Amino acid sequence: MVNPVLLLAVPLGLAFLTPLLAFISDRIARYVPVAGMLFNCVVSVSLIPSVLNRPIIVQTGGFAPPFGINLVAGPLGITLAAVIALVGLAVSVYGLAYVKEGATVKYHVLYLLLLTGATGVVLTGDIFNLFVFYEILCISSYALVAYSGDKNGVEAAVKYLIQGSIGSGLALIGIAILYGVFGTLNMADIARNIGSTGILNTTLFIALAFMVAGFGVEAAVFPLNAWLPDAHSSAPAPISAILSGIAIKVGIYVVVRIVFTVFGAPSMFMLLVVIGVVTLLIGEMSAFSQNNIKRMLAYSSVGQVGLIVFALGMATTGGISGGLFQIISHALAKSLLFLATGYMIYRSGSMEISSLQGMGKRMPLTCCAFTIGAFSLVGLPPFAGFPGKFMIVRAAIAQQQHLFTFLIALVLFGTIIEACYFFRIVQAAYFTGPREEPDAGKQRREEAPLFALAPMLGLLVFIIALGVYPEPVIRLLDSCAAELLNRFDYIKGVLG
Amino acid sequence: MRSLIAVILLAVIGLGLALCLSDMPFGANHIATAEKAGRHYLEKAPQETGSANVVTAVVVTYRGFDTLGEVTVLFIAAIGLGMVLYRRKKQEGKPPQPASFVLQTGCCFLFPLILILGVYIFLHGHLTPGGGFQGGVIVASGFLLAYIGCADMKIRHRWFEATESLAGSAFVIAGMAGLAAGGSFLMNFMPKGNFNTLFSAGIIPIIYIAIGLKVGAELTGLIANLLERAE
Amino acid sequence: MSFLFENSYYIAAVGLILIGLYIMAAKKNLIKVIIGLSFFETGINVLLIAAGYIRGGSAPIFSHPDMQAGKMVDPTPQALVLTAIVIGVAVLALALSLAVRLYEHHGTLNLRKIRELKW
Repeated sequence: MVNPVLLLAVPLGLAFLTPLLAFISDRIARYVPVAGMLFNCVVSVSLIPSVLNRPIIVQTGGFAPPFGINLVAGPLGITLAAVIALVGLAVSVYGLAYVKEGATVKYHVLYLLLLTGATGVVLTGDIFNLFVFYEILCISSYALVAYSGDKNGVEAAVKYLIQGSIGSGLALIGIAILYGVFGTLNMADIARNIGSTGILNTTLFIALAFMVAGFGVEAAVFPLNAWLPDAHSSAPAPISAILSGIAIKVGIYVVVRIVFTVFGAPSMFMLLVVIGVVTLLIGEMSAFSQNNIKRMLAYSSVGQVGLIVFALGMATTGGISGGLFQIISHALAKSLLFLATGYMIYRSGSMEISSLQGMGKRMPLTCCAFTIGAFSLVGLPPFAGFPGKFMIVRAAIAQQQHLFTFLIALVLFGTIIEACYFFRIVQAAYFTGPREEPDAGKQRREEAPLFALAPMLGLLVFIIALGVYPEPVIRLLDSCAAELLNRFDYIKGVLG
Repeated sequence: MRSLIAVILLAVIGLGLALCLSDMPFGANHIATAEKAGRHYLEKAPQETGSANVVTAVVVTYRGFDTLGEVTVLFIAAIGLGMVLYRRKKQEGKPPQPASFVLQTGCCFLFPLILILGVYIFLHGHLTPGGGFQGGVIVASGFLLAYIGCADMKIRHRWFEATESLAGSAFVIAGMAGLAAGGSFLMNFMPKGNFNTLFSAGIIPIIYIAIGLKVGAELTGLIANLLERAE
Repeated sequence: MSFLFENSYYIAAVGLILIGLYIMAAKKNLIKVIIGLSFFETGINVLLIAAGYIRGGSAPIFSHPDMQAGKMVDPTPQALVLTAIVIGVAVLALALSLAVRLYEHHGTLNLRKIRELKW
């Protein structure tokens, strides 16, 4: 069995080595993220069967959990690590073709470190270590948003940086309070100290509030997501794909892990449900009114975050595995959409939706990928979005409360809005001719290059496979949900 | 309106903090019992790690994984800054006035002394206050002084990048060696030596040398990039 | 009065945090906002260190054979602050480099004048 610490150590080592490799040849350095993510993909998938039996607790430095930092490779951590590695692999292959100008080596190093930070956050079992990896994720994404160095990118990066660092500062205050009260930083140890009363005293509640508000900035839940549309729309296409596909999911993971495992605070669940629905409606309505396609996709991510938070807040096995399924399907579909739009924008030279007219003829394969990604997001069978949304609806109805029936009606209304704006683009791409035709005889076929099409195809295969045959993944996610719901098993697993 | 909302939010945050802090009185012994991590470090660190400086023992061995992350954050800052400022327009205007002879001589005299101080600090990280980060910052401050004082000084950026890269890899390789030798990443697998002497504490001085070189190179790179003197 | 002396570190920490946040909310100039961010981070670091203090404790270094583990302050927050400071430096360096770029594009650092930067 492979030690899960290699999921972090190998990409970090590769990232440190990249500048040296770049002295030999820039070409080799470009392939480093692909190699790192391929390694992570293989290792994390191979670990899934063994962590389903029993979570693997890895010590670092050879010290037992409350004293040393430990990694907890449970079903949830390894599943998310596998998703991160999979999407990361696809997007890094795309980056080989897309990222041509500027400081390319630095881009690839930061890209690899961003994904390593995300992997570290989902695997660690120590709250301060989680903060450190969270900062690795955040700081590398601040820099990557400004990669192109143009006006919009730099402005979005400044906005993201200021709001993100206020958020992580607040989270650090929460961690400091927890340490001051309990004298420990291990998540399982804190959870054991908090106990199972379900009612938090004032101090703990304030600490929880600081941490949820702080980490909620990256999760982009409703009042804290002002940075998102700018950052996701001005970043280069592969980075938008990673930010939308991975980074906000990691934020959601942190919030959920803190609320469920560390604090075990049922009083927060209802809040998550309400915030989720509000975020969903605001995101979808804002997306509907956009003319810029990347901003539209960014707002659509806000809406999907709302849906995921709503599902996770239900705190039933069905709800949580539905939410996690939605995390996976959204990670695949949204990164596919951003990758496809990357070249569509590159060819048409504009981000306006109207400039995509006739794209169905100009770039048929890319457009087809975009369409399938959009269908999957909307939740049409047989794509990956359908089982996720179906599970969420079923879980909400199974609650047998009028409130949840009402909320799920609002969620479905949001889905209809989503369908409207996605079909508008599909219609523009396929069913309207190009706006102006300089000379009709030269109807060019300008497909995206092979290195960009291959990862899109890969994501497509996964989207269809998940949509047609979701059972194994649902079984996996059910044990992830059990990990979140049974915090005493987690505590016992880590502390013995 | 805007500042009113800000003040209300600040009042809420301040009140929340005050309520929390009343629950953790200043100076109270919050690590009284042996199962608390802090107490464990104070009691056991000398035997378990061989380091006289307990903070160093915590930074490098008990929470060594944090330190690896921390080194990575600084690496990201150095790379990200280089990326953001990549190929920016040269500022027009006259070049800075060269420093006077006295200032130049003083800087050139102090520069090696500061470097030696920095190296001393990170070599003795396991014995005295200080360590890799502190020593690295002192080394970088020496380069900053040289920059400001000696106007004609240029930096070979490649050397710093190579140092950075090698030192970072050395940290990860030391961790991997622990994994291979002791079964756990960043394990202190080397002999502990005589307590409270320079050659003690196993792997700690080696990691701190790597960190010191890396931090020094990275911060110098940051300064060079911001001062537009890099080649 | 004794309350103030007792809790002077906490008061300093909370004060720095609040001042930093106020600067970030109220000031227009990006450099001032970054200074506010630095205040905020310093406040958090002081808070962490103050949370680890034990009355009458010495620095946790066994530099002399007579030193007793029972008379030392908690070493963990000091290690955490080291990490937090480094993270703060990284964020500040990146923020300043972005400010340089922003100034090149707009010729000003006044956030109100940079239209898209509404928050």
